Amino acid sequence: MISSREPTDQAGHEMDILIFGLISASVVLLSSVGFALILRTEGFLHIAHGQMLLLGAYTGLLLSNLGLHIAPTAIGAALFTGFVGVLFYGVLFRPIKARGALVLLFTSVGAAYVVYGLVGAIAGKRMLAFDLPPVRAFQLFGQPFMTVYELAIVIVAIASALCLHLFLAYTSPGQAIRAVSDDEALARVRGIDPMRTSYLVWFVASALGGLAGVFLGILGSLHLAMGWQQIILILATTVLGGIGSIYGVMLAAFVLAFGIEIGLLFVESSYRSGLAFLIIIVVLLVKPQGLQALWGGGAGRTH
Amino acid sequence: MEGLILFAVSMLTLGAVYGMLCLALNLESGLGPLWDLGIVSFFGIGAYTYVLLTAPPAADHQSYIFGFGLPMWIGVVASMVAGGVAAWLIGLPTLKLKREYFLIVTLAFAEVIRQVYANEEWLTNGVAGIYGLQQPLRSTVPAMQYSYVLLALALLGLAFAWAVTRSIGASPFGRACKALRENEALAITAGIDPRGVSMRVYMVAGALAGLAGVFGVWYTTLIIPGQFEADLTFFVWAALIIGGIGNQRGALIGAFVFILLHDALRFIQVSGEWAVTLTSLRTALVGLALILILRFRPEGLFGERPVTFAQRTPQEAERA
Amino acid sequence: MLEASAVHLSYGGLRAVDNVSLSVEAGRIVGLIGTNGAGKTSLFNVISGFARADRGTITFEGARIDSEHASAIARRGLVRTFQTPLGFPRMTVLENMLVFSRHDGKARHRLAGGSRVPDDVLQEAMRTLDEFGLAARADIWVQDLAAPELKMLEFARAMMAQPKLMMLDEPAAGVNPALIESLVRHIKDLRERGVTFLIVDHNLKFIAEVCEEVYAMADGRIIAHGPSAEVIANPDVIRLYIGEAADKADGRAEQSFTSTNHEQGVQQ
Repeated sequence: MISSREPTDQAGHEMDILIFGLISASVVLLSSVGFALILRTEGFLHIAHGQMLLLGAYTGLLLSNLGLHIAPTAIGAALFTGFVGVLFYGVLFRPIKARGALVLLFTSVGAAYVVYGLVGAIAGKRMLAFDLPPVRAFQLFGQPFMTVYELAIVIVAIASALCLHLFLAYTSPGQAIRAVSDDEALARVRGIDPMRTSYLVWFVASALGGLAGVFLGILGSLHLAMGWQQIILILATTVLGGIGSIYGVMLAAFVLAFGIEIGLLFVESSYRSGLAFLIIIVVLLVKPQGLQALWGGGAGRTH
Repeated sequence: MEGLILFAVSMLTLGAVYGMLCLALNLESGLGPLWDLGIVSFFGIGAYTYVLLTAPPAADHQSYIFGFGLPMWIGVVASMVAGGVAAWLIGLPTLKLKREYFLIVTLAFAEVIRQVYANEEWLTNGVAGIYGLQQPLRSTVPAMQYSYVLLALALLGLAFAWAVTRSIGASPFGRACKALRENEALAITAGIDPRGVSMRVYMVAGALAGLAGVFGVWYTTLIIPGQFEADLTFFVWAALIIGGIGNQRGALIGAFVFILLHDALRFIQVSGEWAVTLTSLRTALVGLALILILRFRPEGLFGERPVTFAQRTPQEAERA
Repeated sequence: MLEASAVHLSYGGLRAVDNVSLSVEAGRIVGLIGTNGAGKTSLFNVISGFARADRGTITFEGARIDSEHASAIARRGLVRTFQTPLGFPRMTVLENMLVFSRHDGKARHRLAGGSRVPDDVLQEAMRTLDEFGLAARADIWVQDLAAPELKMLEFARAMMAQPKLMMLDEPAAGVNPALIESLVRHIKDLRERGVTFLIVDHNLKFIAEVCEEVYAMADGRIIAHGPSAEVIANPDVIRLYIGEAADKADGRAEQSFTSTNHEQGVQQ
């Protein structure tokens, strides 16, 4: 963390939960919506999405080290990651689309190892960080609130999710995406080109992932395992939100992030992603239909 | 030359451990209906169970409270029991889930379990791990020859896993597993109880993976949480896909091909910075192999084949 | 043999089965007709345990089965089929048969080729396959069978389970006339051997030919019941079928979506 926040009293502690929860929810949100979008339109778990975060973060670092300001760096990294996503779709996934979810899933695992391995070969295993000018946190009600970076991240993340919603709901390419994910054959009949829609989905989803990666790097540090760590959280969010439900995922990101922050009061911080899954497991145990029943679908079997 | 042979023996031993995991995974995911992304859970639980039962009590600098120093065979049996029981416990809430949820939740359990190894120092000595663990039959041969003994033991374990999975595959129970994989609704009309059959096959796979955990410990002589990351699950899946899902022989060959692909480059000795690059490229190579296999030979090196019956009727049997 | 009384089932507000009572006597061939979306498949699902009735009781040979798991109901000898006879695609024809055998579980005898099957079960399977003209195809994967062969395999497979009551879901759908004739022959032949049938179908000619007794459903309710000739001549039933034909002519076949969607749900 760039800012250091020493909790002074109980009120400060609760404030911390709120702030940390908000920040981590923002990043989880940004990483998960893209994953959910791909899951919804393509119907498989894109494990390599975690490595898109890694790619975004390290591309950002490269641009930043070239002397670019952090804002164009983030945009550049997102665009680059988006194009890699499009490339992945065109070269890897589109040709084997008909072979079923398991083949696509493990092709994605393969792609994840390729990205992970190549980034590792170039950047090495050391922990790295963005070289940003240090800033002090804003004060709010006499308590340290957020740094300008953190505030920007929260705003950008929430705004991106909101834009995605507006895009899906009100623009014609957005409606095409929804139509294709609901029923590809029907969409084709209505004159929508599923292929073009798919390219768009992959670009948007991957770019959001790349952006999330840069944000993760700004908030903490860059290390090779970050993609794998984040995909675990993304999967947890996906289960909680209901597989394939984009709006469910948006809500789940917040539920999960705050759940984790509260849970961390009781267990060590190294249990972070474990805690996310504990939440999921408890939800499934208590109510097999899970929270996702709220959005329809349900995780249970028909018999 | 000597070094090369020892390296090959070591790779074969590791291949045998992977082979056991592949056979276990093939049983539940190739033959059976379970898309399990948490096979490493049982591998780890088997390994830790074995170590905690057989290791000596903790030294001053260590903090685990168990370490009973029991005989190895008790540890071996216990590792299988622990793997099976763990599968039962995980299966209770998860086997009622749809396949894609099962996939994620088993991955989740594996991650939670790994974090337990890393954090609960009183139980596992945490990330520091436990080093210098005993190997079986160590004192019977000169140190130089021990790796051959270990290889023989690993192959014995592999043969055991082969016999168990093959026998299940040929049994009516194996057919029930396959029927569930192929068409669950129809299998139900044949009177097959999906929960019960899935649970049993999941437990057997868990027990075999637990046993593989013991061999993993014998191979490395140490145990640390880092050995039980989700990577291993993906590697075992990759090996199985390369070899051919649903085919016993494929599972076996896949394991050794994978080791060749992933670990053979380890023989090249390089210095510091280059070693990191090489390790990373090795991982990328595995990813590339997985992509290419799925693209151009999705059934793997040995695809599933129709099961035929050499002898159809008693009359034919008599004639033969 | 089978008694359903006052069965209700609704999906999210839609009443798929509404206060249906139906009984099938042992040794009879009973038909169930109705337009798409009338609730026939839903009723099938409830009886076979693939869906839970909201209310009502179902008994089979005097025992309550309405809270039993579908697999337990199947083990009682009540075996159903599905609209699409997929089988187990990547298992051989013979394996498909063995899965349904009631005695396969006792297998201890080992055969060459790596699979264990008792001799008598294997013989029974081959005999049954022969009867349905599939003996030569025993060792190929079911996914490589032609559609008519799949249809025949469906019967042959179900016979291995030694069913007391067979519930056939649209056995004549998409089947050519010659094959329908053979279906009729097989059904009648099996009845002679003591199997009772409950058959859902659209094809009134087929139902009239094979069934002695027919129930007609519309909007989740039973609207007519009696000897098949009578029911098929019933003005309400005729109106229904003519209405459906008119709907189809208009291109309004929305109703059919509900039944096919649900069928897919079960097949998952």
